[in-house]
Amino acid sequence: MGGFFSSIFSSLFGTREMRILILGLDGAGKTTILYRLQVGEVVTTIPTIGFNVETVTYKNLKFQVWDLGGQTSIRPYWRCYYSNTDAVIYVVDSCDRDRIGISKSELVAMLEEEELRKAILVVFANKQDMEQAMTPSEMANSLGLPALKDRKWQIFKTSATKGTGLDEAMEWLVETLKSRQ
Amino acid sequence: MFAKLKKKIAEESAGAQRPGGAARIPRSVSKESVASMGADSGDDFASDGSSSREDLSSQLLRRNEQIRKLEARLSDYAEQVRNLQKIKEKLEIALEKHQDSSMRKFQEQNETFQANRAKMAEGLALALARKDQEWLEKMDHLEKEKRLLTAQLQEVKNQSLNLFQRRDEMDELKGFQQQEISKVKHMLLTKEESLGKMEQELEARTRELTRTQEELMTSHKMSSDLSQKLEELQRHYSTLEEQRDHVTASKAGAENKITALEQKEQELQAFIQQLSIDLQKVTAETQDKDRLITHLQEKVGSLEKRLELNLSGEEHLQELLKEKTLAEQNLEDTRQQLLAARSSQASAVGELESRVKDLELTLQASQEKLQQSRAIMAAQEAQIQELAAASQESSRMQQQALALEQQYAERTHALEAQITALEQARAADQTAAEHGMRELKQENAALKESRNECERSLQHHQFELKKLKEEWSQREIVSVAMAQALEEVRKQREEFQQQAAHLTALMDEKEQSLQEKTEELLQKEQDLLALEKGQESALLQLHQLQSELEALRSLRAEEAAAREDLLGLQGQEPRELRVSVKATQDPAYQLAATEGTPNGEVGAVELGQLQKEKQDLEQQLAEKNKTIKQMQQRMLELRKTLQKELKIRPDNELFDVREKPGPEMPTLAPSVTSNADLTDAREINFEYLKHVVLKFMSCRESEAFHLIKAVSVLLNFSQEEESMLKETLEYKVGFPPPGLPHPASPALQGPAAALPPLGCAQVMDLT
Repeated sequence: MGGFFSSIFSSLFGTREMRILILGLDGAGKTTILYRLQVGEVVTTIPTIGFNVETVTYKNLKFQVWDLGGQTSIRPYWRCYYSNTDAVIYVVDSCDRDRIGISKSELVAMLEEEELRKAILVVFANKQDMEQAMTPSEMANSLGLPALKDRKWQIFKTSATKGTGLDEAMEWLVETLKSRQ
Repeated sequence: MFAKLKKKIAEESAGAQRPGGAARIPRSVSKESVASMGADSGDDFASDGSSSREDLSSQLLRRNEQIRKLEARLSDYAEQVRNLQKIKEKLEIALEKHQDSSMRKFQEQNETFQANRAKMAEGLALALARKDQEWLEKMDHLEKEKRLLTAQLQEVKNQSLNLFQRRDEMDELKGFQQQEISKVKHMLLTKEESLGKMEQELEARTRELTRTQEELMTSHKMSSDLSQKLEELQRHYSTLEEQRDHVTASKAGAENKITALEQKEQELQAFIQQLSIDLQKVTAETQDKDRLITHLQEKVGSLEKRLELNLSGEEHLQELLKEKTLAEQNLEDTRQQLLAARSSQASAVGELESRVKDLELTLQASQEKLQQSRAIMAAQEAQIQELAAASQESSRMQQQALALEQQYAERTHALEAQITALEQARAADQTAAEHGMRELKQENAALKESRNECERSLQHHQFELKKLKEEWSQREIVSVAMAQALEEVRKQREEFQQQAAHLTALMDEKEQSLQEKTEELLQKEQDLLALEKGQESALLQLHQLQSELEALRSLRAEEAAAREDLLGLQGQEPRELRVSVKATQDPAYQLAATEGTPNGEVGAVELGQLQKEKQDLEQQLAEKNKTIKQMQQRMLELRKTLQKELKIRPDNELFDVREKPGPEMPTLAPSVTSNADLTDAREINFEYLKHVVLKFMSCRESEAFHLIKAVSVLLNFSQEEESMLKETLEYKVGFPPPGLPHPASPALQGPAAALPPLGCAQVMDLT
């Protein structure tokens, strides 16, 4: 019945709120990115125990952006939010070479979920303003992105504190979402 | 080139082995354990419910299918191993080729290097000789120039010294001039001051003069007034004198009269005296007669007594009365005579008296007249006296006027003299001042001239100075330029010397390097031999790896065998996996160890390559470690999910335990033990739960729909409870918001349908 209603709703209004999840390990900068996208400012954040949800309007498209806490203990709960997700922004700390493996395994586990089969993947190689940051290609390789099949994905180098790269990433996401519809 | 290729191949193989191999294991596990297990277990429990042997057989069949799947996977592994072998062969061929090419390259490089070195040495020697000669010539030239320049410099210094002396002299002259000028100026100023003072004095004097002239005028006026008064007084005096003359004349007349009158008086007095004498005679006769009368009266009295005494005697009294009548007739005669005398006398006296009276009257009149004339005289005398006083006063006044006039004249004289003196003095001062002025002007002109001269000379000197300075600066510039040139030349010389030294050093180095290279060449040849040995050892290792792979395969087989055991044994599987991983790790370590020993002897190029290989291997090792870690994490997660599902399952089992105590029993043990971990996790995630519930209650409906699942997972809601929540939310909104999870999605619906309604309560009991 809900499906019936939703189909009617979507056929009536044409555009619906896009549902985007921001995922990634703790301390990657997910919350900072969320509020950078929403209010365009750098806010001081504390580790997210739980989640943040905000509505972001970009290019006349409304996004319901969910920023889920990335701490190890609450990472298993991500899968509770997977249903009806249009895109996943996967944020990776470019300087955290030690945990990129964990990040990769989390990503892989996430992408294997059936509910996210159609979700677009945008990887944010965040904290590019730091000196020891890895290059996007290096990170794509270490995340195993080239091996992905049946998945629209793109990696962007970003700096949430400096605000660089976010616009390009959102542009690409919007274009991809539009072309998919 | 080949190294890259090799690396790539190695990476690919590693990638194929690891992400594929490592990730596939958990994937398969997850798929079978998580996704399908729910359904399977559901079916199982459903069949357990029936507890028939057919079900057992079907289960066996399913297991067989699983085994078949595992076998298929094993065959995949075998293919992978075969691929690896092929790759290894390719690598060997590549290695050989690379060795050949590197040898050839090395020889070529060595030859070219030697040729180049010889050429370089010759060229450098020639160039050095040429440069040395050139520089010697240049040095000679420069030294000559330097000598010349030093001479010039000395000249210029002397000139500059002269210049300084002249400048000092100039300065002194200037000082003197200024002093003199200032002196003259001072004198001029003092003179001007004295002149001003004199002029002031002069003005004061002229003012005094005018004042005295005014005074003179007033005194003149006074003197004229006084002279007029004097004239008047003289006139008055003359009239008074005239009056006096007149009065003296009248006085003389009066005196004459007085004398005449006095003569008359004297006559009268003489007459009076006769009269008085006559009177005295008359009086004396009268007195005698008075005595005769008195004597006769006495005789009449004595005779009368006797007559009385004689009566008796009356004839004697009649004779005495006849004698008395006779004496009385004589007395009456005498009395008549006397009376007659007396009358005559009285008439005479009367006459005389009238006459005296007349005289007295005339005397009185004359006396009055005299008195009058005397009064007039007195008045006139007073007048005269007054006039005399007035004349005296006038004369005094005249004298005073004269004195004043004399004084004034004196004063005017004195003043005029003073004025003349002052004028003379002024004239003298003026002349003196003019003279002084002239002198001063002359002095000034002279000074100006001298100053002009001095200035001219100064300008001339300055001009000279400037010229000299210019010359000096030019000379300095020239000298500086020369010094710079000299320094440059020196520097260049030093540089060239340094270059020469450097070149010689380079030559030495080159020679040394040549020697070293030759030595290295020899070493490398030795190393090559060693490398060949190393290759052989590597081959041996490869063989070892293959054997290990086989061991792995056998492990897989074991795993497959383990799979054949019940699913409850899955708890052991990670440990086995870990073991297998360790087993895979070990050969890697061994590889590193075994390859470490020959590395010391291998040549530079090969060494690098080998090091690269080593690094690759290390990277692979690290990656392997990472994958192991990932696998461990994944295992943990899997365990958790497994526990969750086991947790659900025991509910069912508790239901079915009595009927079917068979193969499901061992699964109870791990599930119970894992519940402790779960409670911990729950404690940790209480905050998370709190947050999610808070958000669920506070956020919009569209967001709340997405949170239903999270809430129901966190609070272990049953599927029905979850759907009830969903429906109530939908009812609240009226229709489900866009992007709502479809209630009929297979992932959620499948196990939920099979779950009994009391499951949740059972879980609570267990925990």
